[in-house]
Amino acid sequence: MDFRPSPAQQLLVATARDFLKKHCPPERVQRVALDARGVDDALWQRMAELGWQGLLVPAELGGSEGSLLDVILLVEEMGRAGAPGPFVPSAVVATSVLLACDNADQKKRLLPAMAAGERIVGVALADEASSLEVDARGRLTGRALFVEAAHVADALVVAARAGGETQLLLVPTDRRGIARWPLEVIGPEKLFEVAFDGAAVSAEDRLGSSAGRRGALQAGALARTAEMVGAAQRVLELAVEYAKTRVQGGRPIGGHQAIQHACADLVRDVDASRGLLYAAAWRTSEGVPAVADVAMAKAYASEACLTVARRAHQIFGAIGYCEEHPLHLLHKRIHAASLDCGDAALHLEEVAQAIGLR
Amino acid sequence: MEFGFSPAETAFAEEVRGFLREQPLERFPVDGMDAGYGSGAHSRAFMKALAERGWISMCWPVAYGGQERPMFFKLVLFEELALAGAPFGPLAGSWQTADAIIEYGSERLRREVLPAVARGEATFWQGYSEPDAGSDLLALKTEARRDGDQYVIRGHKIWSSHAGIATHGLVFTRTSREARRSRGFSMFVVPNGTPGMDIRPIRSLTGGVYHYEVFLDDVRVPADLRLGPEGEGFQALLNGLDSDRFWGRFYKAPALERVLRRLVEHANTTGASRDPALRRRLAAMAAEIAALRLLFYRAACLLRDGAPISYETAVAKVYADETGQKLARLGMDLLGPWAPLRAGSREVRLDGEISHAYLTSLGHTIAGGTAEVLRTTVAVRGLGLPAEPRKA
Repeated sequence: MDFRPSPAQQLLVATARDFLKKHCPPERVQRVALDARGVDDALWQRMAELGWQGLLVPAELGGSEGSLLDVILLVEEMGRAGAPGPFVPSAVVATSVLLACDNADQKKRLLPAMAAGERIVGVALADEASSLEVDARGRLTGRALFVEAAHVADALVVAARAGGETQLLLVPTDRRGIARWPLEVIGPEKLFEVAFDGAAVSAEDRLGSSAGRRGALQAGALARTAEMVGAAQRVLELAVEYAKTRVQGGRPIGGHQAIQHACADLVRDVDASRGLLYAAAWRTSEGVPAVADVAMAKAYASEACLTVARRAHQIFGAIGYCEEHPLHLLHKRIHAASLDCGDAALHLEEVAQAIGLR
Repeated sequence: MEFGFSPAETAFAEEVRGFLREQPLERFPVDGMDAGYGSGAHSRAFMKALAERGWISMCWPVAYGGQERPMFFKLVLFEELALAGAPFGPLAGSWQTADAIIEYGSERLRREVLPAVARGEATFWQGYSEPDAGSDLLALKTEARRDGDQYVIRGHKIWSSHAGIATHGLVFTRTSREARRSRGFSMFVVPNGTPGMDIRPIRSLTGGVYHYEVFLDDVRVPADLRLGPEGEGFQALLNGLDSDRFWGRFYKAPALERVLRRLVEHANTTGASRDPALRRRLAAMAAEIAALRLLFYRAACLLRDGAPISYETAVAKVYADETGQKLARLGMDLLGPWAPLRAGSREVRLDGEISHAYLTSLGHTIAGGTAEVLRTTVAVRGLGLPAEPRKA
């Protein structure tokens, strides 16, 4: 047993941390968060030059051939920096679906471009938030809610009922019969309702039956967990720094046990979340069955990391209530990540079945 | 990263499971109460059985009769025993004491005590706390006065687990009055039955006896029963407390996993498993227990690799105790009107294990460093927050 990332992974993490410090500083995160489009094209392109969007993609398709564990370590750093952009839907979930599908043409057409940062593919895979159907004439109808970054996505991977089964489709967003309506949310992520009004679906759009969906959502759940852990780690660092430097009544507030104990609980929550994340990501990367591990990691972090953010508001006092302070963006990001790729309730039910509850 | 076990560790786990299959636990008479930490009851017979396998001394140097197995074998043994609910109560204390004796014990301690530990015969109580020295341990008053080649110990120890059925006490004393608060302490390994030692049971809120108080009325011990150099007992104690948090709680996660399995089985039997809120609580407990286990394995890797430990064992200990309390509470909720029934009662469910765990778990966030003291340790030692000013 060994909790340390490999030397190559340590290098990846150190490089990511330096890069994000330079190209994604807190001021930039703030600016992009307040921007209506909410995507930083220059940052996205630079990340692609480092091979990040292609980390899951094999070299012959233009990728940088990493493991899922590498992706998790990278996304943890992105969460820590609050890096904007649809990395998880496009570079993790959609990429995983495409890699697992048997549509070789689409793989060859899209994956190299996605890895190069030239194409973005969004996802609408959640059952509870969509009502998509393909009729006998091959027309896609219905709507999908909470689709991230649909405005900048060149295509969407959607799950739709077709006959008795669920099919995965790849639909270009500029196709006739598709409309994207922005949803107003509290956080920096851009979510959309996507309405399909008889959009034509052809054989080449089909990515096969839903076999790849579960694995892709698991990878997405791990990535969202990594995002939460990274953001919670940042909240912890900021809170501890503040507790050391904020002086009231002649001494730092961190000298009081009430604040010390709150900080101790932040460490516990972050460390425990990270342990479950790494173990689940390692098992998944090794091809060991890890459905319950992933579900535990996501459910646990959803609760623990949100608790970290909420507790930190109390440590920061009034300053944490300001728009210009980074805390609320990290908090909102944790909350959004806790919902995507299965919320805590869904994952807990997965765990309930795994531990034998009938 | 690597979250699996080595082939040798896996094979050892299988060996331990084989031993447990051959030796049904009912065969081992129990001498002392299970305090709920996860190591089960105190059973000399079970310690002897472990000793016969060579497992108590398996990680010691060959020179002291060991097999120099890696530390992770101890973790594997703990996990398998705790998952089975075996009565290995004194094992962690025996290991810690043996390690201290191997590291800085006298020739006499090595010659006389180590073989008895290896045979599963020697077990130890901790004489640390006193009536006026709890969380403020260094306020202790017990003194050891040098008299030729002996020490004369006088004082009053309390909350010493299983002191009445153990063979030796680890008695923490003051050997000189020095200006520095942390200097002038020494530890002694005192055989039970030494004249002047009076060990009295304290009945706990469970109705059973786990703790004792020990009166030391001019107890004379040979100087070579001192553990470590005179006056430097505090550092030894600190190391001991650090490792106490780890070794004294490592088996909590597998023990809680065993209890959780019983609760799941019970919920399935009664149909309570169909309640969505209960399903979520049980599932969340499974995740917490898995997280707890990983916190301990992370600390274990640091210990194994000789990496510095600042807060990791303190976090793990607090988490273990609070998770245990939460599971016991959940168990009580699940049992409803049956929850307060004791072991042996008519109509009792799950052998009365839950009501017992509910009560014993109340002491866990107090013993071995209160949750409050440890959170302060995490903040000050781990995060570098300023220590509260202390009155001299």
